[in-house]
Parts: sequence; structure tokens; C-alpha cells
Amino acid sequence: MSPDNEKLLVVENLATTFSTAGGPLPAVGGVSFELMANETIGVVGESGSGKTVLTRTIMGLQQRTNVNVTGSVLLDGHQMVGASEQEKRAVWGTEVAMIFQDPMTSLNPVMRVGKQIDEALRVRLGMSRADAKVRAIELLELVGIPSPEHRYQSYPGQLSGGMRQRVVIAIALACSPKLLLADEPTTGLDVTIQAQILNLLDDLKERLHMSVILVTHDLGVVATRTSRIIVMYAGRIVEIGSTREVFSAHRMPYTRALLESSPKVTNDPHTRLVTIPGRPPNLLKLSDGCSFAPRCSFATDQCHKERPELQDADEPGHAFACWNPLPATRKRTVKTT
Amino acid sequence: MSSPEPLLRVRDLKVTFGVGHHAIQAVAGVSFDVLEGETLGLVGESGCGKSTTGKALMRIVEPSSGTIELDGVDLGAQKGKALRNVRTRMQMIFQDPISSLNPRRRIKDIVAEPLDCWKTVTGLERDAMVSDLLVKVGIDPKVYGNRYARQFSGGQCQRISIARSLAMRPKLLICDEMVSALDVSVQAQILNLLEDLKKEYGLTLLFIAHDLAVVKNVSDRVAVMYLGKICEIGPSNTLYEAPAHPYTKFLLGAALEADPDSPVHGDVLKGEPPSPMNPPSGCRFRTRCPYATQKCADEEPELAEVAPGHSVACHYPLTIKTPRIRKPRTAA
Repeated sequence: MSPDNEKLLVVENLATTFSTAGGPLPAVGGVSFELMANETIGVVGESGSGKTVLTRTIMGLQQRTNVNVTGSVLLDGHQMVGASEQEKRAVWGTEVAMIFQDPMTSLNPVMRVGKQIDEALRVRLGMSRADAKVRAIELLELVGIPSPEHRYQSYPGQLSGGMRQRVVIAIALACSPKLLLADEPTTGLDVTIQAQILNLLDDLKERLHMSVILVTHDLGVVATRTSRIIVMYAGRIVEIGSTREVFSAHRMPYTRALLESSPKVTNDPHTRLVTIPGRPPNLLKLSDGCSFAPRCSFATDQCHKERPELQDADEPGHAFACWNPLPATRKRTVKTT
Repeated sequence: MSSPEPLLRVRDLKVTFGVGHHAIQAVAGVSFDVLEGETLGLVGESGCGKSTTGKALMRIVEPSSGTIELDGVDLGAQKGKALRNVRTRMQMIFQDPISSLNPRRRIKDIVAEPLDCWKTVTGLERDAMVSDLLVKVGIDPKVYGNRYARQFSGGQCQRISIARSLAMRPKLLICDEMVSALDVSVQAQILNLLEDLKKEYGLTLLFIAHDLAVVKNVSDRVAVMYLGKICEIGPSNTLYEAPAHPYTKFLLGAALEADPDSPVHGDVLKGEPPSPMNPPSGCRFRTRCPYATQKCADEEPELAEVAPGHSVACHYPLTIKTPRIRKPRTAA
């Protein structure tokens, strides 16, 4: 258990490039951030923004061929970039664990869910069969599965989507990781089940003293459950800051566009939504300038030619990558009137 | 534009899949009207029967009982050619934009297919109409007309689906989760496009979706479904600000707003929806409802009007205004 002011994860200048038939594809380009112990950080972005590749790179889940990873991922003292399979195995489970988006495909359909939890306990912690079963049932209870002894014997196909995601969480928590990577953990779930799973993650984070990276495309998911937010666009961080700052005093035009284009339940019927013209760039043909420039209404010549680096805003910890940022003083509101 | 005359009248619609022990009543007696020119939103969680309702209206799945009237014509009584005739007046747009387009056909032929089937326009007139439809949805027919569906992004494919559905100038458009597979910035483009086309073509929409914010943004009225039944129906603003059915209240409470100041972790609904194979007696929501009493188990509540145009199926409808939905803040 680490004290709260300790840096659990330090990511520096991380870049993941895939070799494709069309040339090198920079899925993640030069990402740096830090994560404290017991902190929840949100990573938001549209599809193709590199948020999933970022978490998979932190976890060290890249295949060995056709991928080039540079930079550094220091996880509680362990360097994940360039680590051997053996070194990574020593870290998986006990230091870092991951929850994937689709709870059906991340479980083995022909193995009882109890056995899938046991597996982690027996292989990683060397527990005996009997001890592992007791612990697995405890874990099922911890993630809020009713009648855990009975469910221990179930196959994934016999459980609902919400229950399966709870099982996936139980497996991730089996070896008490310090960092939990949750990649779109509630995307396929209904809203009432989504609320249950997010509450469960919040509760477990406090009880088990974990750090969480919550990756999502849904700004609503991160709004009330994270202390800081990273906004990604075309593989890069375009804004990072405390959740409140990012929502109410964002400087990057993309962040504003993202917030304004989401429909709100407070809008009147037939409210015209603010749209971002065009679509996300082709990562194979990125320009030297800001990737958002072609869609940005504030873009100048400089934006098309030179890439803006992250610069600090007034609030400590708040940074944005933009040549023509939105003014800092105005208190922005995401509500359209 | 809207007149009080319903374009679509659905009464006691039931859809049953399977027989005997394995029968599942996916839609268990649904009645509603869609007025000409309005958008009716249909929301609910997965498995509540909202998509099946949409498909049953098109008779893609056969309703087991009930009546569907489009503009006074009973769809259930139509067969063969007559049914095909009526169907041109209603069209459906599906969730997955890419798989709903034939991968082996050029998109200009996909959009032209309804015209070719019906031979309403032919030759140059047909080509002009196809180009016009593609322009209307924001796709340049000269550049993209000869391409295939796989060469387009999800948002563009959805635009092509819309163009195809408008080819026969339908009166009613059934949109089944049409934006759920899209990114938020693309979703906003498609929703705005839909509003524009609705005005231009004088469309009436049945908008089926699980996303409460999206539904609120497009719908004049909203119907909430739970386990095959409508539990509440009413004007969007009223229903969202003062839900009368406990399920609607919980559903809205679970919807996440992109606002760090929104109340954290409101009351969360416990448990999961029961299996439609074996629905609870009485009120279908009673197993998860915190206000349920013996009466809810014994008697099934019928949809009853609590305010003009606002009906709810609950023995104990909520009357207190919930503070969850606040008025938009004004910019300081």
C-alpha cells in the first residue's frame, strides 16, 4: 500500500507506432503524464484517438511484431517498455490489472467463472485449490454477485452482461493490483447497470486503495468519478487537468467542441447541437501541425505548420496543446442556451 | 406542422417468440399514437422490447396480436402486394450503419434500389433523384457515388442509409438506435441532419434509442418501456423534469451528465430486469421498485392519464418534482 502523495505511474514521452501496409501509424505519439497512488484519472477521446492503445501499452500488451514502442512507462519502479514476457508476468495481476470493454469475449465461454478466478490466484499467488475457491467466492461477494457459491459454478453464458463485467472485475482484483486499467468498462451496458458498475469501481478503489485509469468516450462517465482528465486527439494529449478545470475552464477548442456536441438531458426537444465539422484525421497522413487544425474554427497558419506542445495553464496541473487557446478568464459553461 | 390526427395508431401490440414453455413475450400489449409531424422517442434498457416494437410495426417480425394503423390503413390486414404498397410509406434505419448496406454494391445503386423496385422514376430522372438524395445527406455523388460501403466511415454509412430510406418519400421513419454506434461529434452531425430532413420532407419519426439525452434532444414526446410494456408516456420536458413512474425516475437518475457538478451517485436501481420468459405478476417493475406493495403484485396497473397527454402505468405515481434535472445555468 502506497501513501497518497507517491507517484505510482510515470509515463514519459510514450509513443506506439504500428507498421502497416500504408506506412507507420502513430497510434500514440509522445504522451507524458503521472498518476498518484489512490487517484482516478479519466482518459477521454473519440474512436481512433489512441486511448485504448495507450492503456494496452502501459499494460505491456503489445504484440512483439509490427509495433514500435518508445519512451518510458515506470509503474511502481518497474519499466514496462521493453520488458520481457517474464518481467511483465511478474507485474501483471499484482501491480496492474485490466478490465476490457466486452465482458463476453474477455471470459472463456467454456470454463466455469469460478475456475477463471481461481486460475489467477493459483498461478500468481500459489494458492491451493481449496484456498483459491474460498478466496474466489469472497471476491465474487466483494463485487456484489448474489449467491456467490452458486455463481462460482456458472458459465459466462449463464450470466447477464452486468454480472459478467462483475466477474471480470473480480478476476482483475484477485491479486490486489495497485493500478486498475478500465477500458470502457461500461460501454455495452444499460444505464442502470452502468451506474451499478461505476459505483462498484468507486467503492472498490476506496476499499482496496487502488489507482484507476478510466478510459471512455462518454464524458458523463468521467465527470463525477475522476479527479483529473486527459483529453486525447489523434494519439496525443491535447488537454490535461483537474476534472473541474477541464469541464469549466478548458482552453483547447477540441475539448469545448467535444463537450458541446454531446446531447444533454436538460436540452429542449429539437435543440440544434454544436457539431465539429469533418472527422478525425487519418493517422497515416498526419500533418506537421496541430492534428485538430483542419476541423478547428480558430486555426491559423501556424496551427497547420507547427505542432503545439503541452503548455501550462494558470491552474497548477492544467495544461493544453494549442496555439490559439480559448481565453482563461471567462468561466465557460457547457450548457447551450 | 403537427395536426392532432395520429399518423400511426398502435393498439395492444403483442409479439411472442417461440411456443409453449419457451415462449417469450417480447412486446406485451403496447398502445400508442404517433401524430403527424412529431417525433416520438421510445426508450428503455436492452431487452425491453423497443426494437421488437419497431420491427413489428414494419412487420419485419410478425405481431401475434394487436392492430397497427398507418394513416387509417390497418397494416395487419394487408398481405402481399397491398402490404408492399403500404410499406413504401414507412422506412426503417438500423443501428449498425455498415452492415445495413450491401457490401457488394455501389452506394448510388444502394440508394437507387427502392426506385428500381418500384420503377417510380427511371433513366435520367432516376439518376438525378439519387444524386439529389446523396447531396441532401451531405455526400458528393460525383466523387463518392461509385464507391462501396466499406470505403466509408460509420457516420457516412448512416448518411447513405438515410438517403436510401428517403428515396420512396416515406411519411414515417423508424430509427432504431441509429446513432448509438457513432462518436459523439459524428452523432451530433447525424442528429442535426435528421432534424433538417424531417422539416424538409415533412417526416414523422419514431426514434428508438437507449440514450436518454439523445432521445430528449430529438423527441416531442417520449415513451418509456420496461419488460415489453410502456410504463410512461408524455411530453419530453414534462417526463424528464417530473417523471411519474418510479422506473423513469431511476432511469433518469442513472443517466450520466457531462457535468462535474451533477449530483453524484443518486439512488441506483438495484438488481437487473427479470426474464421476459417469466415476468412478475402484477406490475412488471415491482421486483425492483422500492415503493412496491402487495397491490402491485396482485393487480397490473393500466396506463392512466395523470396530466393532459402524460400517462403512467403505476398504482402509486410520483407527484413530487425530483431535483435531478436542473435548469441550464446561464453563462456568467
